[in-house]
Amino acid sequence: MNHQFLQSGTTARGTLAGIVVEALVVLAAGIAAALIANLVSPRGLELSRNYFPGAGAAPPISNGAPGRPATNSAPFSPAEYLAARMREQGLQLVDESRAAQWFQDSKSQSGGIVFVDARDESHYRGGHIPGAYEFDPYYPEKYFPTALPPCQAAETVVVYCNGGDCDDSQSAALLLRDVGIANQKLFIYGGGMPDWIAHGLPVETGSRNSGNLHPETK
Amino acid sequence: MEMAAVLARWLLGATFLYLGLDKALHPADFLKLIRQYDLPQNPWMLNPIAALLPWFEFFCGLLLLAGIAVRGTALVLIALLVPFTVVVFRRALAIQSAQAIAFCAVKFDCGCGAGEEFVCHKLLENLVLLALSIWLVAGRGQKLCLHHTLRSSSRAKT
Repeated sequence: MNHQFLQSGTTARGTLAGIVVEALVVLAAGIAAALIANLVSPRGLELSRNYFPGAGAAPPISNGAPGRPATNSAPFSPAEYLAARMREQGLQLVDESRAAQWFQDSKSQSGGIVFVDARDESHYRGGHIPGAYEFDPYYPEKYFPTALPPCQAAETVVVYCNGGDCDDSQSAALLLRDVGIANQKLFIYGGGMPDWIAHGLPVETGSRNSGNLHPETK
Repeated sequence: MEMAAVLARWLLGATFLYLGLDKALHPADFLKLIRQYDLPQNPWMLNPIAALLPWFEFFCGLLLLAGIAVRGTALVLIALLVPFTVVVFRRALAIQSAQAIAFCAVKFDCGCGAGEEFVCHKLLENLVLLALSIWLVAGRGQKLCLHHTLRSSSRAKT
């Protein structure tokens, strides 16, 4: 009976070892498959690239109410924290009134003032500032050919994203600065698209200059 | 009972297949979400997780649906689910503290692929997935498998 007990114990250990070995094989094969999938996917990420240049840690936890400071040790709301970090990076922030003023300026029609939307394609197509260039900072190579020349030619470049604690506009602005867009003509519209819509300003859906203008949209 | 285990295997596989694919198609969004956790803010830490983990989950989901290396795959999923659940729990505690609300009232997008969820619902969900994984590691769900184990288990010889 002791012999049978030892034998069943050996079998159990062998089975467990077999499961662990199988798990290791699945792990190795899965990682290999994932590497290949990421490489071939058009939305794949570069493993070594810093997608948050100058951002540091993520903003502190919001207290849940927009515009109110957090109730724990962080003295600032996520939006205020982000604005402070942008200023540390030497970036210039503007509010809705300035952004709207530039939008209504005739130079925005002639290319002297350009708006750059730093959100992903689905957000851009869902509604952007009319005439804004799409520039997703996670895939800059895709958007440099269309967005960079107008930014180089413009006197003023206004970058925006989703407002609040969205730091994609910061990432986009830093990328543009890195490729030679002068800092003194780069501005970040901190309130972003939600703020623009909240003020009832015109919104364009679909592609750039699609002509699908709305007084406001979701 | 065995058919119930097969259904459990398919449910687990379909869940990871769906959640993995959803994140794999939006890796930048997933990258932004995992920044909220207390991980070193180093590209070599964050980017592989954001870029590879979703596809890895998709791969594991496929294996379970097809019935290949079931026990090993389930063991890998247990190894993923345990730390995931712990970090989600810790994140929820931090939000609860910051917002001074009840724990089960905490709602956020944990980056799991299902959008914003109430944390208690999410934790319960993870516990169910964990239980199903343990059941599969125990050897259930062997029917309708292409290759339940990668190699046949051999009995110890006398």
